[in-house]
Amino acid sequence: MTLSIPARVGAALLIQLALVVAAVAPQLSARVSGEEYLLRVAPLDPIDPFRGAYVTLDYPDLRDADGSQPSGFDEGERGTVFIPLVQEGDVWVMTQYSRTRPDSSPYLACDDHDWQISCGIESWFLPQDDARALERSVADGDSVARVRIDGRGNAALVAVESR
Amino acid sequence: MTTLRAQRPASRHQLDWLTDELIHWQSVGWVDPDHADEILRSYRPTHRLSLSRLVLTLGAGFLGVGLIWLVAANLDSLPPLLRFAAVAAFWLLATAAAEWLASRREHAGTVPSPVVGAARIVASLAFGAVVFQAAQSLQVPAYEPKLVGFWACGVLLLGYATRATSTLLIGLALGTGWFVWQVVWSSPDGLAVVLAFLVAGVVAVGIATLHGRWSPDFTAPWREVGALLVLVGLFAAAIPDIGGGDDFEWSPALVVGLATAALLSVAGVAAGEGRARLEPLAAAVLTVAGAGLVLWDPPNDPDALTAGDVSHAVVAVVLYVGVTVLVAVLGVVHDSWRLTAMSTVALVLFTTVQSFAVFARIIDGAWLFLLLGVVFLLTGYGFDRARRELASTLEGDAS
Repeated sequence: MTLSIPARVGAALLIQLALVVAAVAPQLSARVSGEEYLLRVAPLDPIDPFRGAYVTLDYPDLRDADGSQPSGFDEGERGTVFIPLVQEGDVWVMTQYSRTRPDSSPYLACDDHDWQISCGIESWFLPQDDARALERSVADGDSVARVRIDGRGNAALVAVESR
Repeated sequence: MTTLRAQRPASRHQLDWLTDELIHWQSVGWVDPDHADEILRSYRPTHRLSLSRLVLTLGAGFLGVGLIWLVAANLDSLPPLLRFAAVAAFWLLATAAAEWLASRREHAGTVPSPVVGAARIVASLAFGAVVFQAAQSLQVPAYEPKLVGFWACGVLLLGYATRATSTLLIGLALGTGWFVWQVVWSSPDGLAVVLAFLVAGVVAVGIATLHGRWSPDFTAPWREVGALLVLVGLFAAAIPDIGGGDDFEWSPALVVGLATAALLSVAGVAAGEGRARLEPLAAAVLTVAGAGLVLWDPPNDPDALTAGDVSHAVVAVVLYVGVTVLVAVLGVVHDSWRLTAMSTVALVLFTTVQSFAVFARIIDGAWLFLLLGVVFLLTGYGFDRARRELASTLEGDAS
């Protein structure tokens, strides 16, 4: 049995919609089912050709002070990295990196295939003028990122605030 | 009596063929002159590349790019959810409009409607805008190659659902762009670039071969894109000092791509039809040859030309000229002027780049141009002879 063209197009549209959901699944899951945590942030910077201006954020409390990974971490291996978090004052900081999923939340599920570890919360998109202002404000002071993290470590950036 | 409204569109090439055939049919008594005249008058000539098609395609491209640009502008006067709803509504409307226009084509001739093609381009680009708006609203990190991958999947899917070549071609361009980006993102090395293009080429040629059996309409686009990717990959492989694989890593995308290419090559050879079943095998062999060229890393001293440099250049030239001849022959065998044009342009570009890369280091001024002229003449002569002989042999065998 062959489907009619409207049926085929309808099915294609539904699958396309599912693809959109799949493209943003980690962030969507964190927004819908995650809990909120505050992390300290520092600015890095610029422009994605498809999505416009953004501020690249660095998380000083998610790495060692002298590098992107804690000393002793397996440098030869690449793949999924888990970063368990503990509360320190009103912000959350890492305890250690791990290749195995922690038993208890909260933790971030990240990836270190690239030159830096990516946890899905490195970019904050906003209009160009606001991006410049935010970059200055984050560089000046003590800004924090409000992040939602679900039970699987998927994270979504919800807001960047000055304290 | 044939009215103007009932006339079906046909290209100039098709009408020329029909006119010749009608003369022949009259001469053997199959149709009388009145009947032949009526048949001819039931068609109206159209241009495949008309001004209206060009303007419509450009307009659709501008509209789609403008929509993505609007997403990138991050209009903060509208909340993210409303922006997503607006872009998604435009995408649904554009897709529905394109298919409504396609369904009301009464003539259903073999010449594709430029209006339908333009509407489908808008629908394909609008889907990308939906993906990027969703990603922007949910703050997915910047420069994420997988978003282009999802866009490509959606467009390819729509292309197959609607059997639309324009949509398929956009999907193929996006898919190739995603694959090369994903591979190079993980392993920024010359060998990775070359392998990404060549592996994508083998996949495309393999799918083309399978389409020959199951869905012939899509064979030509897949084959032509595959040939283009193989030509680009080998062009890059032949560039001296492109990167000998020092920073190369087997990224997951490349491993999956390579496994897919191997599977499709085997499937193409097993299930393909006629000589076309050998095309994926040829693309796979060329992939190995391209990787070998990159890994063969002569000294490449800018002040001195060594025997290793010359040997590398000679092997690269022989291999590339051979491939362009093969593509030109495929153009003849499959009656595709695009393959023939592609091979000619590739040969001219390649010969120029290689000549300057190798000979410009030891010869300058007038002597360089004289040498280039001789190289071009010899290459062109060899190319033309090989193409003619191979094409006539293959056509002779086929008849």
